[in-house]
Amino acid sequence: MKKTLLLFTALLILSPLALTAMGQQGDSDQNVQYPKGNLDFVAPSGAGGGWDLTIRTTAKALKDTGLVKVPMPVRNNPGAGGSVHLASLQEKKGDDKTITVYSPPLILTKLAGTTDLDYNNVTPLARLIADYAVFVVKADSPYKSINDVMNSLKNDVKSVKIGGTSSAGSMDHLQFLIMAKAAGVKNLRDIDYVSFDDSGAAQVMGGHIDLFSTGLSEVLGLIQSGDLRALAQTAPHRVGEGVVADIPTCMEAGISATFVNWRGLFGPPEMPEYAVNYWRETLGKLRLTPEWEAARKTNGWDDAYLDAPDFKEFLVQADNEFRDILNEIGMLQN
Amino acid sequence: MDSLMYLLNGFTVAFAPMNIMWVTIGGVLGTIIGMLPGLGPATGVAVLLPLTFTMGPEAALITMGGVYYGAMYGGSRASILINTPGDGAAVAATFDGYPMTLKGKAEAALAISAIASFIGGIFATLVMVAVAMPVARFALKFGPAEYFLLFLFALSATASMSKGDRIKGFISMVLGLMVATIGIDAQSGVKRFTFGILELQSGIDFLVIIIAIYALGEVFKSFQNIAEGKKKVQKEFGRIWISKEEWKRCVWPILRSSPLGFFIGALPGAGGTMAALMSYNNEKSLSRHPEEFGEGAIEGVAAPEAANNAASVGAMIPMLTLGIPGSGTTAVMMGALLMLGLQPGPMLFQQQSTVIWGLIASMFIGNIILAFVNIPMAGLLVRVLAVPPKILYPIVLGLAFVGTYAISYSVMDFYLLIIFGVVGYFLSKAKIPATPMILAIIVGNNMEQSFRRAYKISDGSLSIFWSSPLAIALIIITVLSVILPIIGDMRKKRAAGKGQTA
Repeated sequence: MKKTLLLFTALLILSPLALTAMGQQGDSDQNVQYPKGNLDFVAPSGAGGGWDLTIRTTAKALKDTGLVKVPMPVRNNPGAGGSVHLASLQEKKGDDKTITVYSPPLILTKLAGTTDLDYNNVTPLARLIADYAVFVVKADSPYKSINDVMNSLKNDVKSVKIGGTSSAGSMDHLQFLIMAKAAGVKNLRDIDYVSFDDSGAAQVMGGHIDLFSTGLSEVLGLIQSGDLRALAQTAPHRVGEGVVADIPTCMEAGISATFVNWRGLFGPPEMPEYAVNYWRETLGKLRLTPEWEAARKTNGWDDAYLDAPDFKEFLVQADNEFRDILNEIGMLQN
Repeated sequence: MDSLMYLLNGFTVAFAPMNIMWVTIGGVLGTIIGMLPGLGPATGVAVLLPLTFTMGPEAALITMGGVYYGAMYGGSRASILINTPGDGAAVAATFDGYPMTLKGKAEAALAISAIASFIGGIFATLVMVAVAMPVARFALKFGPAEYFLLFLFALSATASMSKGDRIKGFISMVLGLMVATIGIDAQSGVKRFTFGILELQSGIDFLVIIIAIYALGEVFKSFQNIAEGKKKVQKEFGRIWISKEEWKRCVWPILRSSPLGFFIGALPGAGGTMAALMSYNNEKSLSRHPEEFGEGAIEGVAAPEAANNAASVGAMIPMLTLGIPGSGTTAVMMGALLMLGLQPGPMLFQQQSTVIWGLIASMFIGNIILAFVNIPMAGLLVRVLAVPPKILYPIVLGLAFVGTYAISYSVMDFYLLIIFGVVGYFLSKAKIPATPMILAIIVGNNMEQSFRRAYKISDGSLSIFWSSPLAIALIIITVLSVILPIIGDMRKKRAAGKGQTA
């Protein structure tokens, strides 16, 4: 009995070694030619959302520019705000074929206690694009500027009802609180945030909430038509053209904070170095192509390229900022 | 009159041979996808998404539109034939569709479902041409309080849906409401009843439960019947058509359900499932012989079928006029619009009038084509009933698992499927109706969230629930919908009592 157990233990200890040896053999083969065979592009959400749109657009641009010649089929692996896919990536340690997209929820889901995994459990390849938060009100709202809103909150914290489409403690909520904090609003915890599903824009237009905190691209059409008035956006600079370029930044309103809804590409944990280098180089090239610029323009995305090392640094910084705010409103879980 | 000009212009787009081909392909594909359990219009449109890259915006929208309402045609096929709804919107078709099949009237049920879908679709498209903008603006009046009352109204249908024993109906409803609370609560970010399981955090998809209760439930039940030697197969089939008398019974239900479905569909967040269930309930309470509902009343098939197809058209209104997705399917369609370089929003009608009116015109053509395709197709499908259960039910079981996996590619859903399949079996043994539970799962979360939204917005004052005329109107119809069936019952009892004494 004892002998079998010993043998079993020995096997257990040896098996990863054997696997790594095999893996290395595989590596040296692929070193010559990477990528080879089908890649596996994954949106950690259902079809049609921001992540899905980003990864499909990226795959298309990579194909159209000829930067990547192998097939890049996109699949969806939705669930728990991307956490389901994050968990399944942990079973793909060292894999070189899986490319996935994430954005601030990659940090936030951990802080909210949904998962124990975050950006430390994936391999950042590059930050690609940014969308910015925008705060919109109904066309005939008494609030004419973001400072009107902040002043009203300072007088009576219950006077402005903020709506968003993510759940409490998540992005739409935090992006407003970051601005409120910078504007000097006290007791952030008491600000009423109402979470809606897809129909948040209809709720602010119908006058059911006072202010809608969302992404610029979500309400672009309604801003252009004049149905919604954009009080401020959170980029460090003016973005877009036409009416969008007329939206002041929070900085201009004297609120010294920015919020970037970045989207970047990630590989599985411990992605091999040759693959990481390949993607850093390829995405760096992609960023400068006219195809990518056209795709960005269509979708209203700002260029937010950061190479892997800077991206990693940025993620740590963003993490700390979210932690502070969540701590302040008593929602920090992890 | 401008609309008519635009519409004529749209027809020139829609009648292009390529576009007729696309709407046919989309519609037929949608019908097939709709028939398979779990695969609904949202999945169908998502599958098409990569393909739309290669099409022009007109062709892409026309094809996706075809898939959307095609799925509404297809969804009820399996409901009627094997008591397994293809998606949420087709649940209501099981109530009377399957009893009709059991009575050997599957042909009429299939025919009326195609006819009702056709009328619902055409009617809704006509209305859309006329009043898309005003309807979209009116829908904005629905705030959290109004949504809560609307969902409450839908839930009150439980009272009429539970045949016989009301208490058992309420037990079922409460079970459903409990299931609906599973997942992250959006208003507080708190996880409820997730037991540390990641997949449960986004809640349980009601489609999994529908497949479990109906498809698995049906398999379990038949399994028992086969063992007892009771299950017979149908050998002879009639023409897929309806009699004059059946048509007479259905005209008004269809004409009433089409506008209802259209409007419910146009409300962001309500959707085809709600539309179908509400119209069913509506017809039952208006009917002169409500006792036939659930036993194979043909208008019980006609009404929800007209409503869900009208709702699929209505759901495009918030997307096209305001750039707000009103349902899962339109959310995917909006993603496709963005990829095609169109910015959804109020300006879309002006900036892309050919695309939009091409889509609207194609809905007329698509519905006509689908009606023609569906009647002969039903003639083939009805032969499923000739398949011996030994062969049919393993296939149903297989499809149930495939369909479940397609919902969110999660193995976790298989466990839920089996658990709820067993739950469904015991519910049916205890004669507890499953429909109130399904309805509660569909509306439960939305209802609770709407209540909490309203409560937060009003700073904790309940008066928000009766502070608008719309809210008051909703309260009145809810109260009526609960009281009327009870009064009806009492009258009948009294009449019966008099009959005896006389």
